Amino acid sequence: MISLIFRRILLAIPVLWIVASITFLLVRIVPGGPFETEKSLPPEIVANLKAKYHLDRPVPEQYLLYMGRLAQGDLGLSYKYIGRTVNDILADAFPVSLELGTAGLLLAILVGVPLGTIAAVRRGSAVDFSAMFMSTAGISVPSFVVGACLIFVFGIWLQILPVALWESWRHMILPAITLALSPAAYLARLTRSSVLEILEKDWVRTARSKGLSGSSTVIKHVVRNALIPVVTVLGPLTAILITGSFVVEYMYAIPGMGRFFITAVGNRDYDLIMGTTLIFGVLLIIANTIVDIVYLVLDPRMQVD
Amino acid sequence: MNVIGNSVYKALVAVLALFSVLSLSACNVPKHGAERGTLRMNIGAEPPGLDWEVETDSTSFDVVSNLMTGLTQYTPTLQCAPGCAKNWDVLDGGKRYVFHLRPDVYWTDGKKLVAGDFEYAWRRLLDPNTGASYAYFLYPIANAFEFNTSKVRDFNQVGIKALDDLTFEVKLTKPAAYFIYLTAFCPCCPSRKDVIEKWGRRWTDPEHIVTNGPFKLVHWAHEYKIELAANPNYFEGRPKLDSIKMFMVPEQATAFALYENDELDYVDNRSFSTPDVERCMHSAEYRNIPLLRNNYLGFNVTKAPFTDARVRRAFSMAIDRSVFPRILRRKEKPSKSWIPEGLAGYSPTTGLTFDPAGAKKLLAEAGYPDGKGFPSVLMLYPNREDVKTVIEDLQDQLLRNLGITIGLQNQEWKVYLQTLHRDPPPIYRANWGADYPDPETFANLFTSHNGNNYACWKNSKYDDIVERASTEQDPKVRAKLYESADHYLCNEEAVIAPTYLATQNLMVKPWVKGMAFNALDIQFFKGVSIEPESSSDPGQRHK
Repeated sequence: MISLIFRRILLAIPVLWIVASITFLLVRIVPGGPFETEKSLPPEIVANLKAKYHLDRPVPEQYLLYMGRLAQGDLGLSYKYIGRTVNDILADAFPVSLELGTAGLLLAILVGVPLGTIAAVRRGSAVDFSAMFMSTAGISVPSFVVGACLIFVFGIWLQILPVALWESWRHMILPAITLALSPAAYLARLTRSSVLEILEKDWVRTARSKGLSGSSTVIKHVVRNALIPVVTVLGPLTAILITGSFVVEYMYAIPGMGRFFITAVGNRDYDLIMGTTLIFGVLLIIANTIVDIVYLVLDPRMQVD
Repeated sequence: MNVIGNSVYKALVAVLALFSVLSLSACNVPKHGAERGTLRMNIGAEPPGLDWEVETDSTSFDVVSNLMTGLTQYTPTLQCAPGCAKNWDVLDGGKRYVFHLRPDVYWTDGKKLVAGDFEYAWRRLLDPNTGASYAYFLYPIANAFEFNTSKVRDFNQVGIKALDDLTFEVKLTKPAAYFIYLTAFCPCCPSRKDVIEKWGRRWTDPEHIVTNGPFKLVHWAHEYKIELAANPNYFEGRPKLDSIKMFMVPEQATAFALYENDELDYVDNRSFSTPDVERCMHSAEYRNIPLLRNNYLGFNVTKAPFTDARVRRAFSMAIDRSVFPRILRRKEKPSKSWIPEGLAGYSPTTGLTFDPAGAKKLLAEAGYPDGKGFPSVLMLYPNREDVKTVIEDLQDQLLRNLGITIGLQNQEWKVYLQTLHRDPPPIYRANWGADYPDPETFANLFTSHNGNNYACWKNSKYDDIVERASTEQDPKVRAKLYESADHYLCNEEAVIAPTYLATQNLMVKPWVKGMAFNALDIQFFKGVSIEPESSSDPGQRHK
């Protein structure tokens, strides 16, 4: 396992370098620059601004400057939020997204996996149809519709939960549900199909024929084996959820980093785009490494790599 | 497949029960009502910064306007009143200003404000290393442009000088009647050299910043909330409010829901969608303020067929501007002149009126009878829903009234700006909001060397009138000059077809007193108070 982690770290460096290089080029290819403002600035002012952020240098020189800073952990300066570094911005926003994303992820797992399992073991019953209807709806209905409905029902109509903002644990309930609904639905469908497949296996039949109870068979033999495909998607899902959702954060006014994935591009905030992309890349690599470790725990016969 | 494990079932029930309990324990969240002494508002987004010499955006200025006071300040009717300067002399025919500072203005750390703080701030604004976008506002000052572009390195040659602790002198290259308004502008507020040099880029953090205005910054949760507290040592006396909470709720519907739940005390366009405006228009809490922000259809006069003034005039005359308030539904004010109502130089007779027959005749004279033979052109506009509504209506009006089919070109905001800045198309949609309440901010836009003149119109006659108006010291003569410039721009040359003035739509809770809004859309809260007992009057509620 140690060697697996060590190899993943070694592999992460070139992967992140490639991601950084491609993103660096892409953001500069996109038309419109950071200093295209509604009120056109005199060329002398634009020259001063470009000089301040080294954008007056040739692109290869900018690239080397950026990579040099990146190697030291410096993600650069935001062009939009003047005086703030990308490190500052992400350090403020990431913990919020992590908190909300973790709540959403736990909720998605705690609802999605049991729901999928129940639907599978009661295949063809009303429970199965209800569970699959709910999961299809969960996948199909966009989060901004879900969020708006939840705000209306619980925040405005019933007035039992806050409409928005990020003040207390109560403020986390509606955003966490909004965030979790789609992944929970996806996990439920995935778990259902996986459990159904396992239930057909000979060793499940053997376990039952030996007199093992239904629940013991499902928990000890079926769910454990059915979780492998679920764990596979949990890697990228975790990275997506803990880096924040633009829609959920925007809708509930949560100061997370999800919004920067969109607004930084709109603002052509080059270093912030780079920062968010790299953070996502790092988290994705970490999450996938953890997934590989979990594989080994679930099924020691597996040979990762 | 009828096997269900009790444990699995129990786990699901437990999760659902947990969330039910969480929800129930959060029951009976009351409507908040007023929060005594605190104004709660939504600024919609994180201010890009609070370094007033560097910022350019209205969100930052919403905060800074309540933290800082410049040499002068605006009255509710946008007149320039004394601020840190108790009075000033205009000398040498308007080329020299000498400001006499109040001796009782203190920074929030207790240090006395001196003229040197203005000299330092204006020097910093002009310093090319600062990279301040609004440095060009000081270009009327002698050698300011040269210093900002590094042609002059010695700041002593720039016409900015603290003569002593209470006297600040500014020398202009030529008289500029609008100059006094710049002294109320946020980027021209004083700043403290010792604080900025000590804390560097973090000098605007709440624990470091020093200010001289009615409120002080006490908390800044980025992307979420800014909190201001009353400055007890403010030179005009402590404001009535104890604190202001400025939330950053980007989604209009969410912010309006917070207002309806009494968690915000007032909302403006940032939090007020058009359906909500229509729903609440007749409420006692509703207010509508026309802004000094004019929208227009621009013609690039260097590109055919808009090289011909008759075509431009025909387009302008083919537009029925009365439709805009109906389609945009926020009480917009139709506008056919470039200088808006409320500014010197405005005249109701300026601008071309809707006359489809006259427009057709002009178009025929230009060689396009009933629009026949009119070349294919694309109208550029940014990717925004309200703009799209306007542009599609204009497209329809031009087809109905002139028989011309105009293509539409929609671009993402920054791409749209780049297109306008680099190669303006033959016809485009744009707007302009006043930086200060003077016609110069509008009239100057279409002078030959203005970078925002996307019409690429270079006209020495117009330049000359605007130049004379900007230096004229007699207000009446000045107004006449701007009026004639506006008439020349909109009627004779029809370089643009103004369309409508934007409005600010607001909802203000009945317990908020003393809130004054203005056409510049700068919000000052020093005269605001919260009087919760007023909230008991149900007749004032919009529901």
